[in-house]
Parts: sequence; C-alpha cells; structure tokens
Amino acid sequence: MDTLLFSERSIWTMLHGIILGGGALLGMSAALYTLVTVRVTEGWGAAAEAQARYLGWLLAGVAVLLWLTVLVGTYISFPPYRATPPEGITDLAAYPRAMLHAAPGTVWLHSFAMEVKEHVPWIAAMLATAVAFVGLRERSRLLTDASLRRMAVSLLVICFTLVSFISLLGVFINKVAPLE
Amino acid sequence: MNTTTNAGNGDLGTRGATNGAALAAILAAGIGAFAIGLVVIVNETGLLAVPALYAPAGGVSGRTTLAALIWLVAWAVLHHRWKERQIALRGVHTATLTLIALGLLFTFPPVWGLL
Repeated sequence: MDTLLFSERSIWTMLHGIILGGGALLGMSAALYTLVTVRVTEGWGAAAEAQARYLGWLLAGVAVLLWLTVLVGTYISFPPYRATPPEGITDLAAYPRAMLHAAPGTVWLHSFAMEVKEHVPWIAAMLATAVAFVGLRERSRLLTDASLRRMAVSLLVICFTLVSFISLLGVFINKVAPLE
Repeated sequence: MNTTTNAGNGDLGTRGATNGAALAAILAAGIGAFAIGLVVIVNETGLLAVPALYAPAGGVSGRTTLAALIWLVAWAVLHHRWKERQIALRGVHTATLTLIALGLLFTFPPVWGLL
C-alpha cells in the first residue's frame, strides 16, 4: 500500500501542537500543582532540596518545550500555512491561509486566530523562561518565600491560560484548513 | 492538600541571599511581553515596518526576533544591576502584570482596528 498515513507537514503539525504544546501544558499543570501544594516548614533539608530540584527541572522542561513549540510553529509550520497559491488554482487544500480567506465564515480564523497564534506564544515562552530561571536559581526560596511563590504561580497561571487559548485556536484552524 | 517537607536545617539551592536576580528575570519577561505588543502595534499602525528575517515565515520572524532581543537585553541589564540587591516584590509584581496586560492587549487583533 503506497498511501501515507500522515504527510510530513501533518507530522510537524502534530509535533508542534500535541507533543510539544501538549507536553508543555502537562508540565505546567504539574508545576502549578507542586507550587500550590508544597510547603517547606521548619528548615531546609534533603527532602525539600530534592523536591525543589525536581520542580526546577520541571519548570526548565516546560520552558524548553514552549520554546520548541514556538520555533517549530513559526519557522516550520507557518511558512506552508501562509504560502500563496499559484494563479488560477481551484483546489486550495494545500494553501490553508488562502482557503480560510476564500469563505467569509472562516476569514476570522486567519484574521483573529492565526494573528493571535503568531505573537502570543512568544509571550508565554518568555514567562515560562522567567519562572524556570527562578526555579533553577532560587529553588529553595521558591518554596519558602510565599511572595515569590505567588508571583511564580501568577505568571504560570497566565502562561497556562495563554497556551490553552492558543491551542484551542490551533484546533479550530486545523479543523477547517489542516496542513496536509 | 498541602504537602509539607520538614527535614533538617540549612539553606541549599539558593544562589544568593538577595532576590534581585529572580525579580530581574520576572520583570524582564514583562518587558519582553510588552515589547512584542509594542512591535506588533507599531507595525500594524504603519509607524515601523520590521523586515522579515526569514522570508517564508514573513514579517512575524522579524517582529518576534526584535522583541526577543529587547527581552534579552532588558534581562541582561536588570540582572547586572539587581543581582546583588534585595528588591521589593510588590512593585515588580505589579509592573510585570501591567506590562504583560499591555503586551497582550496590543497583540489582540480587534485593538488594531481601533487605531
């Protein structure tokens, strides 16, 4: 059988959205749970050190996954999405942006959804990087200093909300005009 | 449910006694978020056309790279100035959240239509 189950472009899309973006969301969920529930009282010891070290590496993993999601999205998945179709072509399936523009009901998927997806993920990646830096460099303070922990939690919640929203927009776009 | 860890004493895992380096990273992220919004909005209003760095990806490659550079420079400067200092958290937290909100507002396509 010669039919490919997935094209190269759809594999990159799945890597971008499911593996990297989904992995970052999972990692953020675990990090948020840890930050909200773990408390260090009565000094700092080996157990607390281990928890803080795992949290730091988890946060670093989230930041790496988000940056990979952003870079794959911007430099690998976005170019074929925005490719201009040749003059006179009637089947726009290989040109998602043109396909979205072709029907009035789907124009918003480019003019709103994709425009948001072009920029907002970079903000999320910067926020995740800052929290990861704090988690790795100041790991004991992150678990013992309530104010710093609140700050990290607020940035992670914003990051999680942004990535969830962006992911949802990606699902909408991919539903109507998938990269195949 | 709160998990409490209680084992021994000592303070491991904190690079310095001050919080400046951590807050520098956090405020720089706010500046980076604002930079993305600012670059996008000035591009959309036609005040500044940032060239594409990678033609197949178009203008987004130039806009986001410029904002990322602003973020990294801001982080480096703040880190250098604050790494040995104790900084008030509340002011940095408020400033960071404000910058993030403005950055997100400026990247919101319906806002471009109001300009």
